[in-house]
Amino acid sequence: MILNIPFSDIVFYFVAVFMVLLSIAAVSSKNVLRSAIFLIASFLGTAILYLLLKAEFMAMAQIMLYVGGVVVFIIFAILLTSHLGENKLSTPISQKFLAVFLALTLLGVMAKFLFNTKELSESITQKSPEASSLIAYGERLLSYAPNGFVLPFEIISILLFMTLVVAITIAKKDNKEEK
Amino acid sequence: MLPSVTHPIGDFVRENVPNVLGYLPDFIQPYIPSAEIATLINIIICMVAIAVVGIAPVPVLIYMERKVCAHIQCRLGPMRLGPHGVLQLVADIAKLLFKEVYAPKGADKFLFYLAPIFVLTAPFLNLCVIPFDKNLQVADLSVAIPFILAMNGFGILSTLLGGWASNNKYSLISSLRSGAQIISYEISFAMILLLVVMLAGSASLGEITASQSGHFWDWWIFKAPVLGLLAFIMFLVSSTAELNRAPFDIAEAEQELTGGFHTEYNGMAFAMFYLAEYINLFTTSCIATVCFLGGYHAPTIGILAIDNILNFVPGIVWFLGKTFFVVWIYMMFRWTFVRPRVDQLMALEWKFLLPVNLLLLIFGVVFLAFGWILP
Repeated sequence: MILNIPFSDIVFYFVAVFMVLLSIAAVSSKNVLRSAIFLIASFLGTAILYLLLKAEFMAMAQIMLYVGGVVVFIIFAILLTSHLGENKLSTPISQKFLAVFLALTLLGVMAKFLFNTKELSESITQKSPEASSLIAYGERLLSYAPNGFVLPFEIISILLFMTLVVAITIAKKDNKEEK
Repeated sequence: MLPSVTHPIGDFVRENVPNVLGYLPDFIQPYIPSAEIATLINIIICMVAIAVVGIAPVPVLIYMERKVCAHIQCRLGPMRLGPHGVLQLVADIAKLLFKEVYAPKGADKFLFYLAPIFVLTAPFLNLCVIPFDKNLQVADLSVAIPFILAMNGFGILSTLLGGWASNNKYSLISSLRSGAQIISYEISFAMILLLVVMLAGSASLGEITASQSGHFWDWWIFKAPVLGLLAFIMFLVSSTAELNRAPFDIAEAEQELTGGFHTEYNGMAFAMFYLAEYINLFTTSCIATVCFLGGYHAPTIGILAIDNILNFVPGIVWFLGKTFFVVWIYMMFRWTFVRPRVDQLMALEWKFLLPVNLLLLIFGVVFLAFGWILP
């Protein structure tokens, strides 16, 4: 502790400022590819916040899905578009007013709900890491007790498995047509 | 996620930092966060250790690559500098260090220099979770396998960024090719690791190693009969593609794309791509060793007299021996198989490896349910 402030709080504010700055950079950058990079950095900030909350698996899933998956596909799409960064993105002023209005409304609504939540005043360091460990997640997902998630888990896994199999089938069909 | 393995050095730092800080004048004593300072010192020690462990095998690997390549082609390889050319690499490094680093005209400078920094993230961070011996591990994460998969995402990013920022058509084509390749093969890479996690019952590399203690037939390559061997071969194929190594090096195909996504890089920036390639090779071999070849366990054979001698050798020696054996397999791969075309490469992943991986996962469940795993 430095001057009675827990170390994790200092890290939190540091990461929070970092994330806000990078998010602003992501929306205000003129180059689309740079925006994607700033987006990645702010996703990494989110992952660090999950780590501060001791949700290790959530942090890993955040990096795996967003940095390794979603943003890579975004960058792929950007790279396939030609004349990148030549004609700069611009927004008319009327749209800007609308955007500021929407953002402020969202901020107000979120503040209204967040300040009423009592758990926020609790320090994160008091929570036990076991509640968010990989094994706890697995047991929770596969439990059929009243607070278990076995049915949604099964539905989602069958859906994803079907997607994968269908992808393979489509890839196979294309080959036959060529012949 | 802090360095969590209890280790004599870590305990020593934790014990003695408060004592040393006690000598500071009394009026600043209440403001000194001694526990945090001890943690930071431990983190710095871990970082230095990882940097050393990451960079030290690279000269050996590069020398090995040149010699294996040369001998497989009936050549001698580097012979002039030092005995059997061992000093050749020193000369190469000196050359790279003294070269000027510059970006081509019209390149996006920020992204151009960001890519070589990104590329070293994955290999170094993956080394943190690997147990080299019982205590030689920076962090025994319970989510080590998801961590490895997450960090591999940075490799794709650096390839895509480096290729685009170079402002070179060949680099761009190469980075797109390699991005598509790595994303595709990442799926089967992840699925094989998933199979190991399922068999071992844990995603922590420490516990995966512990699940293979005993004799050499307790390693996962033998413990699940046939299934383990198939999974190991699949791991080698998909990780070769992940590493962008020949025969899956269409991203760097010299004959078609001059030099691939790092055509425009030179000096230290190029050296960082080169370094990352070899650290990645080492890290992936380490993962193969941990997941399939029993980690730091000695290959004991059940005869007590021989086992005692084998167990006398430190675990790190066994670990590095197995790792370099896997490295040697990768190098033999490189000079034995021919490079597939882009469409053949994609067909191999989506039409062969992925269905076979799904089958392997199902058979893994069957093996576990019927108890066909060796005791």
